[in-house]
Amino acid sequence: MANTEETKSIPADPSTDGHTGEERDPLVRGDLSFHDITELVSRHTEKKAPPAWYAAFAVALSGTVLLLALFAYVSWNGIGTWGNNQPVGWGWPIVNFVFWVGIGHAGTLISAILFLFRQQWRTAINRSAEAMTLFAVMCALIWPTFHVGRVWVIYWTLPIPNQMEMWPQFKSPLLWDVFAVSSYFLVSLVFWYVGLVPDLATLRDRAKNFWRKQILGFFSLGWTGSNRHWRNYEKAYLLLAGLATPLVLSVHSVVSFDFAVSVLPGWHTTIFPPYFVAGAIFSGFAMVVTLMVITREIYGLKNLITIDHLEKMNIIILVTGTIVGFAYITEFFMAWYSGVQYEQYAFLNRAFGPYAWAYWIMMTCNLITPQLFWSKKLRRSIPVMFVLSIFVNIGMWFERFVITITSLHRDFLPSSWGYFEPTWVDIGTLVGSFGLFFTLFLLFLRFVPMVAMAEVKGVMPEADPHHYDIGNGHAGDGEPYIEPATITAVERPDRS
Amino acid sequence: MADSVSSNTSLSWLIDPLESTRDAAEGAYQFAGDRRAWLVPLILGFALITISAMGGWQNPDDFFFAYLAGWSFLLTTALGGLLFLIFHHLTRASWSVVVNRINETLVWAFPLLFVLGLPLLFGMHDLYHWTHPELYDPSSSHYDEILAGKRAYLNFPFWCARMVVYFLAWTIVSYRLYTFSVRQDVDPDPSIPAKLRSTSAWGLPLTAVTLAFASYDILMSLDPHWFSTIFGVYFFSGGILSAVAVITLVALLLQNLGGQLQNTITREHYQDLGKYMFGFVVFWAYIAFSQYMLYWYGGIPEETVWFQHRLQNGWGWHSAFLLGFHFVVPFLVLLPRAPKRSHMILSFMSVWVLVMHWFDMHWVVLPVLRESGGFHWLDITCWLGLAGIFGGILMYRLSRHPLVPQNHPFLSESLHFENA
Repeated sequence: MANTEETKSIPADPSTDGHTGEERDPLVRGDLSFHDITELVSRHTEKKAPPAWYAAFAVALSGTVLLLALFAYVSWNGIGTWGNNQPVGWGWPIVNFVFWVGIGHAGTLISAILFLFRQQWRTAINRSAEAMTLFAVMCALIWPTFHVGRVWVIYWTLPIPNQMEMWPQFKSPLLWDVFAVSSYFLVSLVFWYVGLVPDLATLRDRAKNFWRKQILGFFSLGWTGSNRHWRNYEKAYLLLAGLATPLVLSVHSVVSFDFAVSVLPGWHTTIFPPYFVAGAIFSGFAMVVTLMVITREIYGLKNLITIDHLEKMNIIILVTGTIVGFAYITEFFMAWYSGVQYEQYAFLNRAFGPYAWAYWIMMTCNLITPQLFWSKKLRRSIPVMFVLSIFVNIGMWFERFVITITSLHRDFLPSSWGYFEPTWVDIGTLVGSFGLFFTLFLLFLRFVPMVAMAEVKGVMPEADPHHYDIGNGHAGDGEPYIEPATITAVERPDRS
Repeated sequence: MADSVSSNTSLSWLIDPLESTRDAAEGAYQFAGDRRAWLVPLILGFALITISAMGGWQNPDDFFFAYLAGWSFLLTTALGGLLFLIFHHLTRASWSVVVNRINETLVWAFPLLFVLGLPLLFGMHDLYHWTHPELYDPSSSHYDEILAGKRAYLNFPFWCARMVVYFLAWTIVSYRLYTFSVRQDVDPDPSIPAKLRSTSAWGLPLTAVTLAFASYDILMSLDPHWFSTIFGVYFFSGGILSAVAVITLVALLLQNLGGQLQNTITREHYQDLGKYMFGFVVFWAYIAFSQYMLYWYGGIPEETVWFQHRLQNGWGWHSAFLLGFHFVVPFLVLLPRAPKRSHMILSFMSVWVLVMHWFDMHWVVLPVLRESGGFHWLDITCWLGLAGIFGGILMYRLSRHPLVPQNHPFLSESLHFENA
């Protein structure tokens, strides 16, 4: 819909599709040149946003306003306006926190872990997935901030020398959360920004407006793309990827420690660290699929974000979904095997107690739906993957709900059994956090190149130094003949 | 399926299911060593096992526990290799093609391991407390209510049935991965890569689930009151590390002692193997620490007792050794780029990692028997004996087939691979 204005027609839809065999799939389809890629990506930041963008932005922004208003309301009136009660002291805020941190993890997986594994297909989706990480981590950080009773002394969680000579307790995983999530945010931001520099320089060089040129010139840090720039850039990127990988695994492990270090049946279990990480990748990839399916359609990026990319993401959803499913079975088996009556009851309560509906939503969405991706036809079908990816995120929200609420509402003493019901504030803040997320994501789509142009160009066949020496060393039809370099006459610079 | 390679029919099927395709190998990929390459470790292994068996006559407890530690070392290594192979098929990795055959010969190990595991059946009563019938008799003074509750799972016939199922599953997956690949050497059937991938696809969940339950049955049930949900992952993390070390070590032996594959496996491949070794050292530490920290933090008596046994009475030293030498030292050595590209350091580190993996298994198994720590000479002879038999047969298989999958579609990509 949006690619009707350009002067030169760049193929936006895949020209070929579907093949099997041992040759590698082309990462970019439609015979695009380097220039076409620049055009395809840059133009969205240079022309006016389509009306649909304004409509979506208005909706998202009103969600953000709702969130801010509700947090003001909660801070003024107290956290009793949430549905939390005495046995269930952790309600939706912590559920939403873990949910949003989990969403963020796919971005780092794509940008860092897949980079370490030399998965070149990551290049087309990496920029938007990293942006998604940043916005999801912002949406996550608001919950630990506002679920406390006294938000104005939240800075006491930081180890700052003070007149009281008081320090935070370093044995609390909630403090580790502060360090984990804030360093995760900072490293992700730096990683994303380092990746952006060459692309911002491209936008700068294309800028026709004075102020646009100034602003982009400032943020692209004088990038000229010299050999030395690129050498240092690649090294820095590799190091950041190497650092971000253990970081991303440790962040969600620390989040899982919030539960696992406790002695509560249903929380205290050792598989939580890897299982939470797998769940985070599972839900995060589902969110990337949801967003990419829409973005490639609306912004005409089907030749860059091809169906093969989406299929690979669906395979990762299948793998991590199966790991999560296996963890459910392990937990259930161990609860029985442990011979501890509280553990056994906690799991029976999940499956057959008052929150059985939540448990079975979780099981259906997380254990069964991803298994449909075993079929190649289904995992290459846009409507199927769109619906399934939303199902996965519903299921993963309920996973955190089930872990948090069902373990709390019935534990050791039957006299302190309760039931948790959310209030309108709980619901409003969750909706509002989606508003904040989409506000930021829409701003990103509007102002920042949504595909890493420099990286996509680097994985195109033409970027291979051996691309033109096919066959007998002579240029074929339609290939430019490149004169071999001769070193007979070396011109010396005139040094007068 | 093209039947260009005939199957072995007799008992030797257990050792190598296919007849030799050595003559079909291209010159550079033909095993150049003679029979000493596999005969020497095999004979040494048999000698050590015979000595151990004689020692076991005197101290059956020590023998069976030592044997279990050594056997678990081999089992986890083979399982780690199987999963490592599956990952590379599924992700269509090309760098690893030149070392795939070494991994495939490692992976066809489950029939042999099953046979090597049979002696443990004679030690069930010594090894596994839950096999004692008086525990389940309410009139006995040894009656154990908790174990009685687990009896539906922990009982001898069901345990044996599960073992058969696990080994059957692993054998089927590894048989397909091994034989398809060896057939491809002589018959480049274009459908083979897809078959390898589809086997890997269903083989992955099957292997993962059976591996986890095998870890509960073989190692966790040594202390039947204790339980940990992460235990299967712990078992996997050590095994895959050990498998990467075996692949690296065999590649280095072939190159530096046998003069084979000189320009095939390059420093670029070693750097990648070194990266995996580093990565799984960290992964092992992550899993091991998560398990320890969560139990230490919770302090629930029935869970901490496992670590209590491993931190007191001399076992504390073993635990500290694991931290220092299973994690810190390999972490620091393998972190920079240069050591991963050095044959000498990498072969040293492969041996180091293998020793530490055995030490890890020893640390899991032996505290059940020996409360005060320390080693028995049987611990070492059982382990080295089993490893000798296993390694000898691995080399024998390797000598019968081309050393790399010579018709693999990604072989040329792998030969020209560079770490960018």
